[in-house]
Amino acid sequence: MALHLSRAVRRVAHFSGISGSRCFAAVASFSVNNNLLKTLFYNQRHENSDTVFFYTTKRNFSVLTNKKNVPRKYCRGFSSPATGIDTNSNVQCVLEAVHKILEDAEIPEAETCSRYLVSQVLGSTKQFAYKEHLQQKLDNAQVEELNRLVACRLARMPVQYLAGNWDFREITLQVRPPVFIPRPETEQLVDIVLDHLPSKTSQRLLEVGPGTGNICLSLLHENPDIQVTALERSKMAADLTKENAKLLNLDQRLEVIEMKVEANTTLPPNSDQTPQPVQYDALVSNPPYVLRKDLISLAPEIYVYEDLRALDGGAEGLDVILNILRLALKYVKPDGLIFLEVDPCHPHILPLHLEKQALPFKIDKVLKDFQDKERFLILSRSS
Amino acid sequence: MFLILRRGFATHSSLLCTSEKIVVPPLKMKINKSKVPKIREKDLEEKYITGWGPGGQAVNKTLNAVYLRHVPSGVWIKCHESRSLDRNRKTARKMLIEKLDLKINGEDSVQRQEERLASHKKNLKREKTRLKYEERRKEKENQSEADQENSSKKEDSLKNIPEEIDKK
Repeated sequence: MALHLSRAVRRVAHFSGISGSRCFAAVASFSVNNNLLKTLFYNQRHENSDTVFFYTTKRNFSVLTNKKNVPRKYCRGFSSPATGIDTNSNVQCVLEAVHKILEDAEIPEAETCSRYLVSQVLGSTKQFAYKEHLQQKLDNAQVEELNRLVACRLARMPVQYLAGNWDFREITLQVRPPVFIPRPETEQLVDIVLDHLPSKTSQRLLEVGPGTGNICLSLLHENPDIQVTALERSKMAADLTKENAKLLNLDQRLEVIEMKVEANTTLPPNSDQTPQPVQYDALVSNPPYVLRKDLISLAPEIYVYEDLRALDGGAEGLDVILNILRLALKYVKPDGLIFLEVDPCHPHILPLHLEKQALPFKIDKVLKDFQDKERFLILSRSS
Repeated sequence: MFLILRRGFATHSSLLCTSEKIVVPPLKMKINKSKVPKIREKDLEEKYITGWGPGGQAVNKTLNAVYLRHVPSGVWIKCHESRSLDRNRKTARKMLIEKLDLKINGEDSVQRQEERLASHKKNLKREKTRLKYEERRKEKENQSEADQENSSKKEDSLKNIPEEIDKK
């Protein structure tokens, strides 16, 4: 599991203390001196409090761990409170111990999380897989792995990143920080798109911000007649989308372009050298739509580990959405549809912005998610 | 269905004496799905285990268990097979239809039909194996009888030889 420690370091160092959670991770920046790290270590071992992640200089690392001549890129690790899990207890006891540790630390969803972690060290992705091994004892490697997972969870790392992969509709996607984890609401967006596409005709879709590739890969998996071009501004997300596409054997029909969608973006020239820009049949996106005021109250799982550029939609959450519509004006057919996942306030404030910015689009349909919130918009060109 | 089995038995037992190979034709039983109940979305009550808060991008929860209840009949299902909520919703609906089918149609439900078909196929297979070993056993017995005859004939021929030599 590749922890993007430097990003986590900067963010947690900035936000630590605000969360109020007793077991929030204290992360030491690589430029900090010995004493701070030593103090954190001392507190952690003697008061059994936080998990400490560190990524530090060679000298600091050798002072902390007594290991000499370790290459710089390996001068990282973590030190966490003792969990009391060992090879002597069976899976039932281990599960209860993990649950207690997480509950005492006020980690949300402690029960579900403990089941997922224990099932993961036993080799399964299913939550209740541990039930078949209740009397089994863990071996040394499994205990070490479980201790590592619990320490990371105590530092509020999302369970999806700990697992390294997560299910999305019919497919399983690799997930890793800081790429945005697919949310369950987005699964409905795929249903909506599939329902509105004509069947058995080849369609070319444009996606903005694939992230892990959940939307485009689900569409490609469930409809063999589509081709998707995905635009992604983050290199890490673009690489992950390509990796997932390859693992699912869907890379032939997917093109990922690393670029940011702004007010006046133009797509790069077509790979087949045709002069006219491609006119896509539809556009789909789960763009960053969180309002700036809501960004402050995000859970640590999100603001420490996930890329906030995938969430921040500006003051009213519409910055990226409006840029996407400007892009659609140039590259989507006049009768093509635009499918968006949005914040529940957007169906009410978007029409005003469309008028102000003179964007010739209208909202055809507003659809609710499984929580009865207005989550999805279908837009089309208004003549 | 049971009649066919009996007929099969009868055919085989009458041909036991022969050493011909008996081929049992495959049984063409179809599952009758016409009685499977259809459910309407508005009759269903769906709950996701504990609330989600504001939802959307601002929340990251792993809870994906679905609780589905068919209000008119009271049948309910809890599904947490997959880590995907959408998948669990669809699986929950299939499981609910199966459970309703079992409750309403009883012995005529698809599940019971499939169980009967599976046990019938198992019985046929068992019978086929039993007959195969019966045949082999018979062949061995015939073979051993033939061997005994041959060996007794040989002994007789051996007894004759000394007299002839003596005569010479």
